[in-house]
Amino acid sequence: MVFTTAVNFIRSRGPDEFWRKRKIFKLAAHFQGRKRNCYSITIRYVHRALVYATKGRKLKKVDMANLWEQRILSGCEQHGVTYPLFKESLSRSGVMLNRKTLADLACWEPQSFKALTDIAQARAAQDGLNVSKSLEPPSGVVTRGMIK
Amino acid sequence: MSLLRQFCSKLAPILVNNSVRSTQNVSAAITTNRFFSNKPAPYEIVDPKIEKQEQQDIIKKVNEQVNANQQGRIFAVVHLAGKQFKITEGDVIVVEGYWPPGPGDKLKLDKVLMVGAKDFTLIGRPIVEDGLANVTATVIEKTLSHTKTDFKKKRRKQYKNINFYRIQQTMLRINTIDLSGKLNNPPDVTGTEHRIL
Repeated sequence: MVFTTAVNFIRSRGPDEFWRKRKIFKLAAHFQGRKRNCYSITIRYVHRALVYATKGRKLKKVDMANLWEQRILSGCEQHGVTYPLFKESLSRSGVMLNRKTLADLACWEPQSFKALTDIAQARAAQDGLNVSKSLEPPSGVVTRGMIK
Repeated sequence: MSLLRQFCSKLAPILVNNSVRSTQNVSAAITTNRFFSNKPAPYEIVDPKIEKQEQQDIIKKVNEQVNANQQGRIFAVVHLAGKQFKITEGDVIVVEGYWPPGPGDKLKLDKVLMVGAKDFTLIGRPIVEDGLANVTATVIEKTLSHTKTDFKKKRRKQYKNINFYRIQQTMLRINTIDLSGKLNNPPDVTGTEHRIL
């Protein structure tokens, strides 16, 4: 290209306007109204959406952690154990399942989860942990000589 | 490493019944709370012979079921690359981030935290006995995730920053989950399995 003036040279820098805008319009393809058609409006909303996406990636992890805790809590309540007692008893027994796995078990493996709450109850009763509910060690768990 | 056992509904009522135990409740003797920071647990006197028998009965039932191959589909919880996965045979799991194994590598997953079947669950403290559960896997693919956009912007502050990144991903096929060893049959010497003597 031939540029007769410096002004023209500066104006023609960078990618072609059409392609530069098309990159942004592609990200806005699912927006509604003028947000997807008018560039000056589109760019505002695309920036906003990208910021949300970046923040949301962190929030997703927080949300998942909350969901797991809620699922474990519900499972514990079903079997009459409080959540702190459940975690404390399991760690005392050396069971190192994390919250993600415990939530999976509470959802999809109810029998195995019940086994864990039974162990927690037995351990709590054995150690004499301060518990608000009166806990009888459940039948079916043989603890002596095994939970130490 | 000893295992905790808990039989699920089908076998539990047959195996353990509190009334069968020769127990004597002596909790009345320790009602006072003066010398303890925690409430003392009411304890019972249990015949060790009977209790041992109960334990062996449970272990025997599990061993019989495994030997007869009637345990059904097994799931396992494994610890892999800093995360725990609940897996069963035929699953594909994704390990994210840098992880050296390459495509075609066959792996034996050693850190098994839990094994569950139809009627029983083996819970490791924290892992089940070495050689008891045999979990094998194959690396089937190494790839990158889709492009993620890291975009930061502050209004009215002339601040804008954009970055693009992709995360390494390794796909792992779970080939087998077996209970190969005998339950509660630990070797006399442990800790030397992986050593070259």
